[in-house]
Amino acid sequence: MRQAFDIYRRLLGVQIRSQLQYRVSFSFDLFSAILVTATEFAALALVFERFEQIGGWTLGEVAFLFGLLEISFGIMDMVFGGFDPQDFGASVRHGSFDQIMLRPAHLLTQVLGSQFALRRLGRIVFGAGVLLFAVTVTQLDWTLAKVLYLPLVVTGMVLFFGGLYIVGSTITFWTVESIEAINILTYGGSYLISYPMHIYQNWLRRIFTYLVPAIFLNYYPVLYFLDKPDPFGFPAFAPFLSPLVGVASFVAALAFWRFGVKHYQSTGS
Amino acid sequence: MLSIVHVSKLEKTFHVRRYHQGRWASLQNLVTRRSRLIRAVDGIDFTIEAGELVGYLGPNGAGKSTTIKMLTGLLVPSSGRLIVNGFVPWKDRRHYVARIGAVFGQRTTLWWDLPVIESFELHRHLYQIPTGRFKRNLAEFNDLLELAPFLDVPVRSLSLGQRMRADICAALLHDPELLFFDEPTIGLDVVAKERIRNFIRHINEERETTVLLTTHDIADVQRLCRRVMIIDRGKLIFDGELARLLERFGGHHRLIVDFAESYAEVAVIGAELLSYSDQRAIYRFDRRKITAPALIQAVSERYAIRDLSIEEPDIETTIRTIYEKRLL
Ligand SMILES: Nc1ncnc2c1ncn2[C@@H]1O[C@H](COP(=O)(O)OP(=O)(O)OP(=O)(O)O)[C@@H](O)[C@H]1O
Ligand SMILES: [Mg+2]
Repeated sequence: MRQAFDIYRRLLGVQIRSQLQYRVSFSFDLFSAILVTATEFAALALVFERFEQIGGWTLGEVAFLFGLLEISFGIMDMVFGGFDPQDFGASVRHGSFDQIMLRPAHLLTQVLGSQFALRRLGRIVFGAGVLLFAVTVTQLDWTLAKVLYLPLVVTGMVLFFGGLYIVGSTITFWTVESIEAINILTYGGSYLISYPMHIYQNWLRRIFTYLVPAIFLNYYPVLYFLDKPDPFGFPAFAPFLSPLVGVASFVAALAFWRFGVKHYQSTGS
Repeated sequence: MLSIVHVSKLEKTFHVRRYHQGRWASLQNLVTRRSRLIRAVDGIDFTIEAGELVGYLGPNGAGKSTTIKMLTGLLVPSSGRLIVNGFVPWKDRRHYVARIGAVFGQRTTLWWDLPVIESFELHRHLYQIPTGRFKRNLAEFNDLLELAPFLDVPVRSLSLGQRMRADICAALLHDPELLFFDEPTIGLDVVAKERIRNFIRHINEERETTVLLTTHDIADVQRLCRRVMIIDRGKLIFDGELARLLERFGGHHRLIVDFAESYAEVAVIGAELLSYSDQRAIYRFDRRKITAPALIQAVSERYAIRDLSIEEPDIETTIRTIYEKRLL
């Protein structure tokens, strides 16, 4: 374990140094990452220009959902960049995964250490800004429990979406054609849960409650943070399921990954 | 016996997706999924003793790389048994690969943006090589492979030959007991090839490292391997000494004689006269039936000789005939 962490740290060092070698492109990436998130938030804010409320929620309240998601997704994308199905699929096709298999370190350590997109910092910082804005305008009522729970919610989402990345990458062992489907699930899912879940049709919300329990990742914790009533009458512990959902999906994803590695075919040339 | 590699009834099949052709192809491809089974390795058996240096030959697509990938733990065999150095490679991958080295000529294990020496340093940590041994090995390989001029150059700026030398060094820093080379000399010039061959021989002889190497360059085999295995369409069609292969298939030597005078007839017993003109005769003989000195003596007893030379059997032609005619 300690050796794994030492290796991870060194591999990250390589990634970070390589990225800083290309200073211009790095600054550009950082800037465009901020721009993308800012545009998304501006679009959200514009909706409130016209309607003032979405499903009874104010801009500040929705910004809380949005900010929390952006921070989590940004951290996930930075840490799990090696498992971005697009990049991972390419590394399988180009044979770099062969080289990873040939080294005497855990595959997970090495894949995680093979990418570390510092430019995602842009997204994280902007997300933090939005969250701060939300906290201010909603005049959130902080308690010690809330302060302690916030990082756990972030962790839950990081693990959940990280797990999705791992599942998507594992599928590229068999086919690269499903990458799009996985991307829709990941990006679409994250977009969906940056809005209050009660605005969706019942069937859609049920999918995201029972099939993919994403409703517990962001929506329920935010109900708790903002002291809002639960419109669906779940038990009182529902807001605290986020870390559990994250850990459970991550463990399942790892099991699938291990199964996939046994079916790894390498490349024909 | 000290067999370090045991392979029996080893098979690897791939399902390769077949795509529809024609007008409605993309729609059909979406709806149906057809695949073809490829037997890349089709039931092979062999063992390799510790310290051997074995050449693994075969035409394109024969199954060489697939075999090496199973031996190095990258691929799980479809069936059969595979034990290397006491391990089932894919089962205990991490412990197994710590004690082998593998170089795939078309790939690099080094970090693209890092200076060569820093990639080596990373290997030191990955393989947990004690510092003293790391330094000794690096110094030795540096001498043999002449790495010094480009140790602090990023890998992306190296020439192919330099990169290959660096890759080979990286694969050896942790003193592996076994080495797998998949086309280590591909794309290199004559001098670079020779340097790598000398190095591989050195490692095999001085360190008694077991080596299995695939190549399409017959000179690699000629310089390095006593034993060769030939695979074709997934089946092992020859396994034995190179000399025996040559004996069995086109193992003929040639004697070329320039006579001092013109003779009407220059036939000798024990050799076949291939051509004779302008006072030069070319004989073909089988060394198992007549030795070169005996033949030369037979010729010189009857004719005045100005000059002569002996040609070894041409391995390249022999191997090509085997591939083309599927002799075995
Ligand atoms: N990952 C894979 N997926 C599908 N087919 C594969 C794969 N790897 C190899 N093959 C097929 O298996 C057969 C053997 O390939 P292999 O790479 O082992 O040949 P080789 O002897 O190394 O050839 P070469 O001399 O060209 O390198 C070929 O028909 C190849 O197309
Ligand atoms: Mg090959």
